[in-house]
Amino acid sequence: MRISIREQMWNIAILGLVVVLTFWRGNQLPIFGSYEIKTILLGIVPIALLAMGQSLIIIGGGINLAIGAEAILINCITAKYSEGTSFITSLKWAIIGILIAALIGATTGWIISKSGIADIVVTLATSFVLIGLALFVQPGPGGGVNIDFAQTFSGKGDSFIAPLLVLFLPILLIWLPLQRSRIGISFYAIGSSKDAAFLSGVNVSRTRILLYAFGGIFAGLCGVALTAITQAASPFAVISNTATLNSVAAAVLGGVSLAGGVGGLFGPALASLVLYYIPTIMLGYGIDPAYSQIIQGALTVLVVLIGGLLRARNKR
Amino acid sequence: MNYLLEIRELAKSYGSVIALRNANFSVLPGEIHALMGANGAGKSTLVKILTGVIEGDTGEITVNGAEVRFSSPDNARKNGVAPVFQDPALIPDLSVRRNLNLTNTDLKKFEQNLERLGIKVNLEELVSRIELPILRMIDLARALAHDPQLLILDEITAALPANLAEVVIRVMNEEKSRGNSVIFISHRLSEIGEICDRVTVLRDGIDVDVFKTTDGDEDRIVSAMLGSKITKSKSHVKSGSNNVRPILQAISINDGQKLRDISFSLNKGEVLGVVALEGQGQDSLFEILAGERKALSGEILFNNDQVKFSHPNDAIKRGISYVPGDRKTALLPQRSIRENLALTKFRQLRSWNWINQKVEDEMVDNAVTKLEIDTRASSQVKRLSGGNQQKVTIGRWITTGFELLLCFDPTRGIDVGTKNQIYQLLSSLSSQGKSVLLFTSELREIELVCDRAIVLYDGKIFGEFDAAKCDEELLLNAAHGRTS
Amino acid sequence: MKSLLFKNRSMVALWLILAITFVITGIVDSYFFSIPSIGITLQLAAPLGLLAAAQTIVMLTGGIDLSLAMIATGAAYIVSVKSNEGLSTALLYALLFCIVIGAVNGIAIGLFGVNPLIMTLSMGAILIGVFTVGVSTFLRGSSRMPDILVTLSSGLIIDPITWPLVIWIIVGGLVHLSLTRTGFGRVIYSIGDNAKAARLAGIKVWHVQVAAYISCAILGGFAGIMLGGQSGAVAISLANSYLLPSVAAVVIGGTSIMGGMGSYSGSVMGALILSVLSYLLATLNSSEAFKQLVYGGIVLALAWVYSSISERK
Repeated sequence: MRISIREQMWNIAILGLVVVLTFWRGNQLPIFGSYEIKTILLGIVPIALLAMGQSLIIIGGGINLAIGAEAILINCITAKYSEGTSFITSLKWAIIGILIAALIGATTGWIISKSGIADIVVTLATSFVLIGLALFVQPGPGGGVNIDFAQTFSGKGDSFIAPLLVLFLPILLIWLPLQRSRIGISFYAIGSSKDAAFLSGVNVSRTRILLYAFGGIFAGLCGVALTAITQAASPFAVISNTATLNSVAAAVLGGVSLAGGVGGLFGPALASLVLYYIPTIMLGYGIDPAYSQIIQGALTVLVVLIGGLLRARNKR
Repeated sequence: MNYLLEIRELAKSYGSVIALRNANFSVLPGEIHALMGANGAGKSTLVKILTGVIEGDTGEITVNGAEVRFSSPDNARKNGVAPVFQDPALIPDLSVRRNLNLTNTDLKKFEQNLERLGIKVNLEELVSRIELPILRMIDLARALAHDPQLLILDEITAALPANLAEVVIRVMNEEKSRGNSVIFISHRLSEIGEICDRVTVLRDGIDVDVFKTTDGDEDRIVSAMLGSKITKSKSHVKSGSNNVRPILQAISINDGQKLRDISFSLNKGEVLGVVALEGQGQDSLFEILAGERKALSGEILFNNDQVKFSHPNDAIKRGISYVPGDRKTALLPQRSIRENLALTKFRQLRSWNWINQKVEDEMVDNAVTKLEIDTRASSQVKRLSGGNQQKVTIGRWITTGFELLLCFDPTRGIDVGTKNQIYQLLSSLSSQGKSVLLFTSELREIELVCDRAIVLYDGKIFGEFDAAKCDEELLLNAAHGRTS
Repeated sequence: MKSLLFKNRSMVALWLILAITFVITGIVDSYFFSIPSIGITLQLAAPLGLLAAAQTIVMLTGGIDLSLAMIATGAAYIVSVKSNEGLSTALLYALLFCIVIGAVNGIAIGLFGVNPLIMTLSMGAILIGVFTVGVSTFLRGSSRMPDILVTLSSGLIIDPITWPLVIWIIVGGLVHLSLTRTGFGRVIYSIGDNAKAARLAGIKVWHVQVAAYISCAILGGFAGIMLGGQSGAVAISLANSYLLPSVAAVVIGGTSIMGGMGSYSGSVMGALILSVLSYLLATLNSSEAFKQLVYGGIVLALAWVYSSISERK
């Protein structure tokens, strides 16, 4: 399946940046072996999954400001009910969590379509509701998960194969088939031009519901990953807000256009690596992590600016 | 007779504007049928209802004897009625292949039809990268790939170079010989006689004439479009203007799209009419003069000074005011009449301070009375009738003051009474020494209001006429590129 | 009389909701009906009211400012740290800060076309970074607010009238008047309603955007200083929990996020409703969970109601 030239170029650029930063980081550390790679991967898995979900939604012409809250909710549900259970039970709750997330997403999409309220307002409101639910399920930090289950996700010992798979399997199993399928194409269609999509026979409302549902699946995966990696529930609004912000930043840096219809999921996954490296590398030099936050914010703005200018020039 | 398509008593209104009033239209199998009508006559509304883009209010549509109601163009396509719209229904950010996947178009059949049209396209190319004529052909090939019984071509030859237009005509004849039919919408009168079997002419939302092209010719079409009695009403509303000093001169304007070499001049105190068919670039011309758009090349002289506008404010400062054709563009829908009338005052930073309520009240009341706007000044503008909305737009400029008023199709969709009021207004402006550039799709207005008229066709000024000496027939022919 | 009620039906509805919430709170906690507790509620509502004013202005233009919390916190920080150089100097620095940040936001959004959501979200992140670093470097100093500001932020005049309430009334009144009676207000509404029409009328849309985001930032600074005064000291998280409520108050008050429609008076009602609701939820010892649920539910419900009302028109 060929992806557009623009997307390819962007992915290559980001990949190049990732390679450079990986070397940089590798140099910083006294040893750069399997364990270090595993640490990096574990650090980015949650944010990469969230970035992919958000990117999908933005491609479809929407945005989900509650995606971080969705992930936190699933984290809390799965961690609460998986505490001290068997592998099978933990797995069962993970699956239930993902399904719940998909349902929440679908409901969000339905509300947006039915009510005609802007997606920003709807998802702003649902972010409250979902954090509330998360706190309801798990009022404070706590919970746990079956150890074997956790290690299946985060890898045993030094092995980083597991987190690598967690990062790439969703792309392989969900995104690639989706991209070729009619549903996936409809996502791009409604993001690119709702009118032309309608004229081409796309049921815009139904597609939007599916869009947010799929975004929810990624949020659910993120929640499950959080449970597996941290082996606890962290119902904090701050985390969910930062996570949401980062998901948008990663999407934008990953070549997804805020106007919709443009971009893929691979770029944002790579971009979340970049967003991870910046603070980590700077911390390695003893620089206050606050500086990296400044750089991240400025970088996002710069990318959006350039993207917008490029698009305006192309239109002429 | 067994009709392929029968449309009976189709009606559609948008609020107080009637787009279709009990229109009838039928197509036989194996025929190429032209659908004609002036701007706003109802052609596109009819096609939109037929193909499921919008819903009609009343009326029925039958295909092969069975009543149908298509929910979307895709639905229509699957049932043998394939539209090819003026704006290709293709998703810009997707490749051609993906667009075809979306409409479940058989790729093999599509490529066969592309070959039939003599076009080569890389299926992986993004639609946004392909130029418009090729996109039209792609849209056509896609429609053909669904083996339609009825093909609807909306102004397809308009943006096509001659060679591609010929291809399309050949294909239409091929379809006809297979027993399929084509609804052909075009402004090119010359094509109609050569290509089509029958013609239906719409005017003011209803069918006024249906005839075989062997029984009638272009003149019959033109007179049907205008109305049985070509108005030679000498109800000259305008007062003559004898001042021949040019206030505006356009020299070789090219906008990089439809306008290629536009040159004309407008005299002080004159009302100059602009006549053109849909899509000749007239909107672009007005936007360039108003400072909203930049021309690619060419010069504009205002009061003999060369001017370059980069923002509408530059034009307004010079005394050029713009009344856009789309009232949605010109007005603030959720705000009041008062706010809309006063809007332009606030373009200067120094007027961002406290509003002198009394002064504003006076100004607003003045405008409301003078223009006879018949609702309270505090109500939301989107509630007003089209006529009143138009008056508000014009009123805004009258209170601001100007030297030149650019008026784009001001009377479209407006009731007769208000139309006359606007005519009076424009005439009185000219007798006050103000100049007006007026684009109108209602040709009789040229005679009523204008001093001169220019015709825009094929990117150039096709002709210049003294308004007193031209009638609608002359103008309509000129608009089609015919010198009669 | 009936037509007057109908014309202002959204305000009437808001008063009704406020009244119902008020009564329910009073029933749950009879102490609420006392003058002192009303006074405290109003006192605590004042900063939210100012933040809502800021958001109202930018939301009327069709934008949003998600960096508002950090602008508020930042201004408070600057005042507390620079207060040793004198109160007016400190306030001047804070004002400068607000103007600069507002201008950056406005120029990026208005001139460069950056999406307001992204721009202000990123600006917020940048500011968190700047102030986190600053606290240990160039902004080292006292985090205590000067006494006079503490008084103005929480001092009592006569129950239930407190200084912050008075300041809110004055500043809020100015905001309301600017929006309804000045050219500035007119252009704000116009670019939110139909930016193209405004441009065709000669208005330089990006000028208005810059002015809007600067005004928003200044009001945010006011609110931040008030919050700092109310808590006595400034921390990075000072205004964090006020960000989403500031947007919620505006949405509840009937201002559309698409712009061009709404008023500050609606946002005031929204701020009051949310404040009384806060009291109610606190009294019910309701968990943070319940509070969030109620917040989200109300915003959604009211936005839906407004959306269907305007569709019917």
